Amino acid sequence: MLQRSTFHTDSFLIKQLPQATAFINMEEEIMIASDKWVKEFTPLSGSCIGMSLTHLFSQQNKNWQKVLKECMNGEPGQPRVGRYQDESGNEKWFELLKTAWHDEDENVIGWIVQGEKASQRMHNEVQLDKLHILSTEMSDIAKIGLWEYNLADDELNWSEMTKIIHEVPLDYVPNLEKATNFYKSGHSRNTIAMMVQRAIINQTPWSEKLQLLTAQGNEIWVIISGKPIYENDEFTGLIGTIQNINSLTLSEIKTRENEYHLRTLVDNLPLNVFIKDLDSRKILVNKSEMKYCGVQKESEILGKDDFEFLDPETAKKSRKDDLKVMQDLKPVLGKEMVHFKNDGSKTVFLTSKIPLVNRDGSAYGLVGISMDISELKQKEEELKALISVTSLQNEKLLNFAHIVSHNLRSHTANFSMLLDFLTNEKNENEKQKIMGMLTTASDNLLETLDNLNEVVDINSKTGLEKKSINLNKEIRSAKQNLTANLSEHQVKIINRINPKVYVKAIPAYLESILMNFLTNAIKYRSPQRKPIIELSTTFENGYTVLSIKDNGLGIDLEKYGDKLFGMYKTFHDSADSRGIGLYITKNQIEAMNGKVSVESRVGHGTTFKIYFNEND
Amino acid sequence: MKTIKSICIIDDDPITVFGMRKILESVVECDAIDTFANGKLAIDDMNNRVADNKPIPEVIFLDINMPIMDGWQFLQEFIDLPIKKSIRINVVTSSIDTADHDKWKYFESKTHHTITFNNKPLRKENLAEITTAA
Repeated sequence: MLQRSTFHTDSFLIKQLPQATAFINMEEEIMIASDKWVKEFTPLSGSCIGMSLTHLFSQQNKNWQKVLKECMNGEPGQPRVGRYQDESGNEKWFELLKTAWHDEDENVIGWIVQGEKASQRMHNEVQLDKLHILSTEMSDIAKIGLWEYNLADDELNWSEMTKIIHEVPLDYVPNLEKATNFYKSGHSRNTIAMMVQRAIINQTPWSEKLQLLTAQGNEIWVIISGKPIYENDEFTGLIGTIQNINSLTLSEIKTRENEYHLRTLVDNLPLNVFIKDLDSRKILVNKSEMKYCGVQKESEILGKDDFEFLDPETAKKSRKDDLKVMQDLKPVLGKEMVHFKNDGSKTVFLTSKIPLVNRDGSAYGLVGISMDISELKQKEEELKALISVTSLQNEKLLNFAHIVSHNLRSHTANFSMLLDFLTNEKNENEKQKIMGMLTTASDNLLETLDNLNEVVDINSKTGLEKKSINLNKEIRSAKQNLTANLSEHQVKIINRINPKVYVKAIPAYLESILMNFLTNAIKYRSPQRKPIIELSTTFENGYTVLSIKDNGLGIDLEKYGDKLFGMYKTFHDSADSRGIGLYITKNQIEAMNGKVSVESRVGHGTTFKIYFNEND
Repeated sequence: MKTIKSICIIDDDPITVFGMRKILESVVECDAIDTFANGKLAIDDMNNRVADNKPIPEVIFLDINMPIMDGWQFLQEFIDLPIKKSIRINVVTSSIDTADHDKWKYFESKTHHTITFNNKPLRKENLAEITTAA
């Protein structure tokens, strides 16, 4: 009884225990439970005495069943945490602890099971676990290591990642000095030492990009940051992160290097390089382009279009080309463009324009490359002029060779033929006739040789010096020489030449030229009207042009134009036409680097224009 | 001796004309040898002959370099004349310009008349050979 009464007294006490507690016999039936136990685990039935634990929690989730089983079968004194679901479906965390239930004789008669509500703590722990996992993951992915320095113990702790970054074994024990010495001597080591010092003294946080040498001897870039930590407002140490940004930094350095190389290349190309936006405003230019536009700084050009620097016509053309390139998305390569700047200066460019295309396939601008070929162009022109002079000379030479051979051959052919006749001729009268012809042939040959000599003379004496000659004075003297001829045919000469006009010419040639044209004008006068000769001058591209206009017969230029200045070409049935005058005149004019042209209408008259070169 | 009805010499050089006449007289029998000092005079005569329905010379000796109208200009107009009969035209020149040779080839291909190209001086044998009706 006593025993029993003791038990009752005990059970009374047990009921009031502040923890959920149940006494269980060896059959795992609940003998007695605290009110708290009842409240937590058997709120509906109100009583659980005599129930087995298995039965009591039969509706619970697997986790709870498992934890309960482990607890009951396992060693006593080991707390186990399980997830309990109450009648409203709320999850609660309980820590179950089993201890042995002894009688007075220290015999185990059952188990005492205590359930401590662990919701908040567990929640925190789980959260912490999650955070831990998260931070480990993060540090793994981002290669961010953690470190902590405890001021009181002068103790430095490195996280696993921090150790990996330093390439030290995981059991490595760092301290401040060792950590500092990982940094590359010089800027990096000085900086980290200074930052740590300042953080300890002034509690200032830092974040620096520095280079360190790992235990394996690899040089890497890291971002090392630190900040002070406090406990109860008292500075207790530092906490921080370290991140391996080597590949990032290296690629950044590489990119910057590449950019620098590219920029240096673009800037120093002997080409004008520019990038334009959709509105043809320049958004990048190189030095050559700046120089061409006459600016010192890129900023003076950026955002501006061609209309700012080029003559409006040129700018308009350029804009038109830009639009075409950006619309068609087809590059224009090596197009020859003549650019006039606002100041009127001319440059010939070989320009290529290449569209810049977005990912969606539309253009957002263009790259332009222009090569200044003005000099090349100039050289080309000079070369062309030279070739034209050479081929002209060649043609003249060939022409002359033909003339010489033709004229000499025709005479010698006559000689040969006449001599042949002479040898076979018996008739004395006929012989005399042939002899007379031989004399004529000989005279003709002599005259031809004289003419050829004159032409050769003109073409070979290129060294004759040109003088500045008053044109009117020379015309007066020519008129004087022709006085008889002029009055005989009642020729009227109208001279419109300014008394001050001088031409650069070889005096003898000028005299011969004037005489020849004036004589021709008289010789080929129209029988239907009194001859009028008009003289005037104009100036054209470095030439003084003398026009000699007559109202004579005129020449059918379509028929004879190409032969007019040829040797032994005559076009009128006139007894004193020899076909040599114009040929010699032309040679004399060309020997003075001049030229001659002709306009004529049959029945109206002819105008000869003589170009005197005033430059050389 | 061959007999040719009518021969025509177109040349501005009196000595050549004299020589050709002299040789021709010794190699062919010919009723008429006409001479013209340039192409213009010759083509005018040809035009008249065609208009008057008179016979065209069977053989024509043609110089190239002549004033007013040269040999080629004469040929250009002559081949356009409505002459059914094939006429022999002997170009006789002292020119060695290859352009003249090319022009001969051109005219030869353009007409039904016989055109030959000969260099001065013409010897008796050559002349006899080319003085024959086409």
